[in-house]
Formats: sequence, structure tokens, C-alpha cells
Amino acid sequence: MARRESRFNQQVLIDTTPMPDHIPKVEEIGATSAPLFSASFFIGDRCRAYNDDFMKCKAEANGRGELECLKEGRKVTRCAASVIKDINTHCLKQFTNHWECLEQNNHRLFDCRKDEVEMNACVFDKLGLKKTIPDAPKELTPVHLRQTQIFSRYPGKQWRANEDGSPITDYHKEKA
Amino acid sequence: MPQDMPPAGGYTQVQYKRNIPVRGFSPMVYLAGMVGAVTYGMYKYYYSSREMHELGREKIWGRLHILPLLQAEEDRDQARRYYADKAREQELLGSENRVYHSDRFVRPTFAYTPSKVTEE
Repeated sequence: MARRESRFNQQVLIDTTPMPDHIPKVEEIGATSAPLFSASFFIGDRCRAYNDDFMKCKAEANGRGELECLKEGRKVTRCAASVIKDINTHCLKQFTNHWECLEQNNHRLFDCRKDEVEMNACVFDKLGLKKTIPDAPKELTPVHLRQTQIFSRYPGKQWRANEDGSPITDYHKEKA
Repeated sequence: MPQDMPPAGGYTQVQYKRNIPVRGFSPMVYLAGMVGAVTYGMYKYYYSSREMHELGREKIWGRLHILPLLQAEEDRDQARRYYADKAREQELLGSENRVYHSDRFVRPTFAYTPSKVTEE
């Protein structure tokens, strides 16, 4: 077999030079895919303006967005980090349950509706962020609020509901 | 001269078909069953397909909301490497050469690798 290490291994390829001092530092988000996907609609709810601003800057920078849109990019990261921090502070249990469920179920949201309902209730109560799916047809119930999920691993009702269709959550029970 | 005539009372009937009892239901029952099965399938497909459509919308928006975040992180990394390359070039050559006849940011094709890492 090969007697010498391949030259293009990860250790060698990473250029570890830090960012120059004239660019303000920002802490990276540091979350993996499942927590980010779990929190994505809340990030979208709070940070939509920053996100759009950044993408607009990139689109209008004429190919130089990597260097010219660093400021907008820092705002995007700080805003998303604030959402993750707030969720971690106030709804850590529900958040952890949901993203671990996503991690176990191949990021299929429809397999984790029970945990999602708990998390949405907590986040709306504590942070005022609401999950809405843009451009969804108005006449239909949004798919994340449907009690039965056709494609779920365990089809049927995912959570219990009041008469008006609002979910009965453990979060509200614990709070009451 | 007398001709051959049929026997009195006519010929007996010739048995040209087999005398087997009819099995199973009538064809219309099978047809109706098939139509019923297909209708049920189409009914399920209609609702499943609509739900799958909405799930797709949910998934893509979930990704769209975190896309700028990931892009910003990647851009910062690219900018960091870009400035590092420029500083290295300044140090080694004492000048900055423009490789491309363009102002655009070009992702470098070749990465900088320290020469002595694998030798030590």
C-alpha cells in the first residue's frame, strides 16, 4: 500500500491564516445541520430582512460579493446566532427534542410533528417568533399544522388538539 | 325414384358447444371492482400528492431561510483565504499581480499548501 501520506489531505489543505485585522470579527454560527434546520423558520421570521439584504448585495455586487458583502454577511450571522441563543435560553428542551428527532429521521419534518408543535408553542410564547410557510395556499391548512401526516412513519394523528384545532401541548400543561 | 329425406320429426340437435358450467362472477362485477380500486387509488393519490407538494414547499423554505447564513460563512472563509494569499504574495514577490483581467472574485483553482508539513 501507499508508503507515504497523501499530500492533499485535509490537514495540509486548510489555510489557517486568520482574518486580517481590518475586517471586524464575528463568531461563526457553529451549529450543525439538524439544529439549523429545526430553527430555520424562526431564523427566517426574525432575520428575513437581513437575509434579503445580503442576497441582494450579492446579486448586485457583480461577482465581487465575497469581498464587498462581508458587512451584510456579519449581520446575517449575528442575527441567526441571536435566534439560536434565545431558543437555547428559553426552549432548550423542546429544541433539543426536535432537532434530535430530525437527526434520527433523515431531516424529515413530517416525522417530527409532535416535537415541532411543542417547540413552536414554546418559541411563540417566549420569543414571539412564528413558523409560517411563505406562498402556501390560503385555503388549505398549512402542512405543519395538520394533525395527520400521510407520509409519516406512524401515520395518523401526531398530536392531540382542542376543539378549535389548536394543539394541546405539554408545554402549556407544564406552564399552567 | 325416392329421394333421401330427413327422418320424420327432423334431425336430432348436434351438440356443438361444451357443457361446462360458468365459473366466477359476471364480467361486469370484475369491471366494477377494477374501477373501484382505481378510483380509491386516485383518491389517495390526489390527497397524497397535494400534501407532498406542501411538504416540498416547507422543506425548500426551511433551506432558503438558512441559505444566506451558510453563504455568508463560506464567503468569509473565501475572503480570509484571499487576503492570506495576497499577503503571502506580497511577502514572497514584493508585488501584487493581477492574474485575471477582471474585477470579479475568482475562487482559486489551486490551494496553498505549506511545503514542509508532510516531511516533518
